[in-house]
Amino acid sequence: MRRRIPRCVVSFHTTAGAMAAERLCRREGLEGKLISVPRSVTSDCGLAWSAPPELREILERRFREAGIEAAGFHALTL
Amino acid sequence: MKENTFARRYGLMILAGVVVGAAALILTAAGNPKNMGFCIACFERDIAGALGLHGAGKVQYLRPEIPGIVLGAMLSALSFREFKARAGSCPASRFVLGLFVMIGALAFLGCPLRMVIRLGGGDLTAVAGLLGFLAGILVGVAFLKKGFSLGRAYPVKRGEGLILPAVMAGLLALLLLAPGLLKFSEEGPGSMRAFWLISLATGLAVGFFAQRSRLCMAGGLRDVFLLRDFTLLAGFLAIWATVTVGNLILGNYNLSVLSQPVAHSQHLWSFLGMALAGWGSILLGGCPLRQLILAGEGSGDAAVTVLGMVAGAAAAHNFGLAGNPDSAADGVYQVGGIGTAGMVAVVIGFAVLLAVSLLHLPGKEEA
Repeated sequence: MRRRIPRCVVSFHTTAGAMAAERLCRREGLEGKLISVPRSVTSDCGLAWSAPPELREILERRFREAGIEAAGFHALTL
Repeated sequence: MKENTFARRYGLMILAGVVVGAAALILTAAGNPKNMGFCIACFERDIAGALGLHGAGKVQYLRPEIPGIVLGAMLSALSFREFKARAGSCPASRFVLGLFVMIGALAFLGCPLRMVIRLGGGDLTAVAGLLGFLAGILVGVAFLKKGFSLGRAYPVKRGEGLILPAVMAGLLALLLLAPGLLKFSEEGPGSMRAFWLISLATGLAVGFFAQRSRLCMAGGLRDVFLLRDFTLLAGFLAIWATVTVGNLILGNYNLSVLSQPVAHSQHLWSFLGMALAGWGSILLGGCPLRQLILAGEGSGDAAVTVLGMVAGAAAAHNFGLAGNPDSAADGVYQVGGIGTAGMVAVVIGFAVLLAVSLLHLPGKEEA
């Protein structure tokens, strides 16, 4: 059974936003993966980006610079 | 640190699926048509008929299940502080997409939820619909991967998010206080109905649990194809399992491709109809059930989609686009399905969905 670990979960206003974030992170070698947005974050059923918590500041900056609008950054244990 | 447990991940979703499946069984036992305990497309079509938006006499009844779902979702969202009035995500496109999702669903004779319920009754004609739904979702996912988006919604005044729930409450009031203003089928599926209080109560329960769990037929398959995440799909499977077991216990299970209730054997058009519904649902961000839930949570965009679906139901019956069930007359089995007009409408639907998909891809500077 998988152990739960701390993650930085980034939610987006649109699915396209989440996929743009994935493309950016893949291109720049930033660790993380697309996940179904956790129920504790929102009642919406879109996608989110899950990354190691230490990448939060880098992600905030790079998403802002790339014009990718995040709905929120959440510290969760998944 | 706690471990991920099966119950934590899937518990609520499976519970919601069991509630929806049980609701379908209860409603069928209480009078709703067989294998149609719950069907969002069929019930919205019946409501369109009850309001005189179409003249198909066999499918006219203001089904309390639909107001129940919206109001149940609203009560849940309000209770858990998740009611968010928001709108502005391409409402016109959503109206048109909702319209064609409904036309596709009525070509098949059921929304994705009823497709699962039909499968749970042993209706093998629904397999063609399931395959079509999968195909449509794959097409929609391909466009999502290319960057398709209807754009984000923005916060609006709370009253805006209450419009559709208020309309639903008004429809319920019409049914109870002024039924003379409505049309009621005297034969056919529209004449088969559970007592209104049972319908309303099950609708409220389904709305509540679907809001808590985010149950969505299209979203479940989207997550499987995009993320290999089976959480939402678990609800889909729980509905099927519950309905199957319930029908086996109640003696209503009939594993066959023939003589299924309110179903036809025109498999190609079942496939294409549900492919249209699946593709459209992915573009909309949710299946017809999910649109009702989102509308109950305050989404004006989902409310417009629901109105588009009601308009699609009216068009489907006014222009002879909807499927007709197989029937037996004088001992001869007659295959139903859609006529030429319905086939043309489904093809037009694919063209419209392709246009909407292409028009909402990112430009070169955004990609």
